[in-house]
Amino acid sequence: MTTTNLRVSGLTKSFGGVRALDGVDLTVPAGQVHALLGHNGAGKSTLIKCLGGAFPPDAGTIEIGGTTYTRLTPRESIAAGVAIIFQTLSVVDALTVAENIFLGQEWTRHGRVDRRAQEEVAAGLLERVAARCSPRDRVGDLPTGQRQLVEIAKALSRSASVLVLDEPTAALSGAETDALAERVEDLRAQGLAIVHVTHLLAEVERLADAVTVLRDGRVAHRTTVAGRTRRDLVAAIAGRPAEAVRGPRRTPTPPRLVVEGLRGPGFGPLGITVAEGERVGLFGLIGSGRTRVLETLYGRRRATAGTIRVGDRAVTPARPADALAAGIALVPADRRAQGLFPSLSAQDNALLPALRPLARHGVRALRAERRVFGALAAAVGLRPARPGLPAGAFSGGNQQKLVLGRWINEARHVDVLLLDEPTQGVDVGARQEIYRVVSALAEEQGTAVLFASSDPEEIVALADRCLIVARGRIVGELSGTELTEQSLLSAVHDPLPAEGAA
Amino acid sequence: MTTADPALTRPRLIATGGLTAVRRNPLLVVLVVMVPVFQLTTGSFLDPANLSGIATDAATLAIVAVPLALLVISGYLDLSVGSTLALGGLVAGWLAGQHHQSPAIALLGALAAGAVVGAVNGFLCCHLGLSAFIVTLGMLTAVRGLAQQLFPLPLSGFGSGFAWIGGARVAGLAAPVVIAALVLVAGALFLALTPAGRHVFAIGVNREAAHLSGIHIRRTPFALFVATGVAAALAGAIKASVLDSAVAGTSGAGFELTVLTAVLLGGVALTGGTGSILGVLLGVLFLGGLQNGLTLLNVPTFWQQMAQGVALVAGAALAYAAPRTGR
Repeated sequence: MTTTNLRVSGLTKSFGGVRALDGVDLTVPAGQVHALLGHNGAGKSTLIKCLGGAFPPDAGTIEIGGTTYTRLTPRESIAAGVAIIFQTLSVVDALTVAENIFLGQEWTRHGRVDRRAQEEVAAGLLERVAARCSPRDRVGDLPTGQRQLVEIAKALSRSASVLVLDEPTAALSGAETDALAERVEDLRAQGLAIVHVTHLLAEVERLADAVTVLRDGRVAHRTTVAGRTRRDLVAAIAGRPAEAVRGPRRTPTPPRLVVEGLRGPGFGPLGITVAEGERVGLFGLIGSGRTRVLETLYGRRRATAGTIRVGDRAVTPARPADALAAGIALVPADRRAQGLFPSLSAQDNALLPALRPLARHGVRALRAERRVFGALAAAVGLRPARPGLPAGAFSGGNQQKLVLGRWINEARHVDVLLLDEPTQGVDVGARQEIYRVVSALAEEQGTAVLFASSDPEEIVALADRCLIVARGRIVGELSGTELTEQSLLSAVHDPLPAEGAA
Repeated sequence: MTTADPALTRPRLIATGGLTAVRRNPLLVVLVVMVPVFQLTTGSFLDPANLSGIATDAATLAIVAVPLALLVISGYLDLSVGSTLALGGLVAGWLAGQHHQSPAIALLGALAAGAVVGAVNGFLCCHLGLSAFIVTLGMLTAVRGLAQQLFPLPLSGFGSGFAWIGGARVAGLAAPVVIAALVLVAGALFLALTPAGRHVFAIGVNREAAHLSGIHIRRTPFALFVATGVAAALAGAIKASVLDSAVAGTSGAGFELTVLTAVLLGGVALTGGTGSILGVLLGVLFLGGLQNGLTLLNVPTFWQQMAQGVALVAGAALAYAAPRTGR
């Protein structure tokens, strides 16, 4: 007997004019694993959050175990049997395994928590997910893989019938990944409907019964996995056959950024050279070490070995200010945590590093500031171009333009621009504008651009040359006509021998 | 408060546009109501002598409130100012009274003591990254203890030269009022017209983003800790001069909470990133006026304290309940 545990129909959700989800359908019967694929910003997280009740959809319905909802609160979602295991786990480190599993639904006897009963039941649940920890272990002492199993056990304790796994293996080691795959197979056999969000095609091949690919908020592709090759899947994710429009770079230019033997916690040694006016992509999955490399070049982290040169000057940045003095700037990945000052005005946000260079005798040059901001807003296509509007009121794309604008103005000259996931959470239109601005910077001013991305589409759109990063090392290089979405996806999924590593 | 203050972008030293000013500083309305009420009930609230008394009382508050407000905007806090005030007064009085030093030397000695306290606070909070609440709470006790150890007996009889600091008149205004006005103007100019003033806001809103923008996130708050210590010691010297006495155990006791109340009433958010010097001025005037009015009405001290506390909580509740405009 097959029952349908989850049926999503016509789900639509917009954020400030951007359609994050546009009429998405998804059906997952009991005892099936459904893989959900797509680039960053394709709508996967929005879909998950609608399921979890984090925000209400604008249109469409969610049917769980026979009951249809037009909107869910987080509480209703849990009660209906949905359990979501996010990448960032929501277990409480200071509590024991059993306490975590029963958090918010404690068993009590005479008004006191009945630890023994909780621990007994917890032991049974842990057995179901084949966890190797005891109910009395403190969760903070467990490795990530076990913590994840605790969270799944918690979901089972609430008799979840729909399990959503959001890139569950991103933070796991190889052995843990295999173990998790076995658990997923067990849970499928136990009759759960499982939605598995991933970037890894190997996981899809191993686990999934069906695949849905999202692109720009729509279902771009849907298939059952049986009989599909990896190439078919790659083509489905990329959405179109290879486009090889790039020629080799015009004339060779002298190197601007030269990194040799760079090592730090979790990466290296690696070497990177970016020529004047060249745009080099660092492509790798989350956790591959891309961000660490960029942050080390920018002085946010310390290198343990290696040299960094800008032109022929050696740089050893101990803090971002040092890197900036040497002409290196970074646009960080996590805009909210590392980039934006939401309550400060657009002008304050974009001109913060320019205030001192513009000031005269320690006094701000207000008129010059306004002029520089106007030019900058026009250059990056800021909308609305209102200097006084708080940055938090802008769309994601325009917020990113403000952060980018810090390094693209006449008051701050930048020789090397580092960007980490330059268009994360940025809508399609603004994405194109950001690519245009960065490319223009490289072409017109000879700025060396080094950017990290986990989105093959972005690498192909922006990079002249791409370095493949895995486990903190450079494992391959693609450029010219070889640089396509397909070749990128194949490169991370079947890493080449590390011949390209420096 | 997550809404921004657009006036921050185009600096206006005095808020323009009546309605906007009122919306940003609801305390204006409270003052406009409070002043006539006190005048009608006491009959002497607006007498020049009384007003000048309020101004002198409010002056020491304002001198410390301005640097403290900047510190809070940058995301830190200083609870040790009451004890630093006592130490400053004692050092100044000791130099002037016991050692017959000139008022200038006495004042410099006090300021140096305040700078040392501020530097210790700043080093522990900014460079070692310890919690400002814990560090300055500890310093509140430690500095008080130090003051009592160094000056176990009350000091007085500082001489007529020293009395000049608190008693001199400049253009008809008491010297402390003039100093407070200078501090207020300097604070407003600093916030509006210097790069470091913008950095204070940026560090308070998002320290990590400020760091990644190449701002020295330790230097500016450290300087503000030192400035707050210096200001507290200056206020202590002024109080010692006005009263011609300084007592290690009681001078400035509870002062840290009064200053913090004024700063918070003035619209400076404890979470950092918002606030203005105009707001701080209003907060200081409100507290000073409230205390004075209630005293004129012969309201017992305990009720005055209650009124102060209620005002702070009511202010916070109003700020929370106020509709967030989509500015």
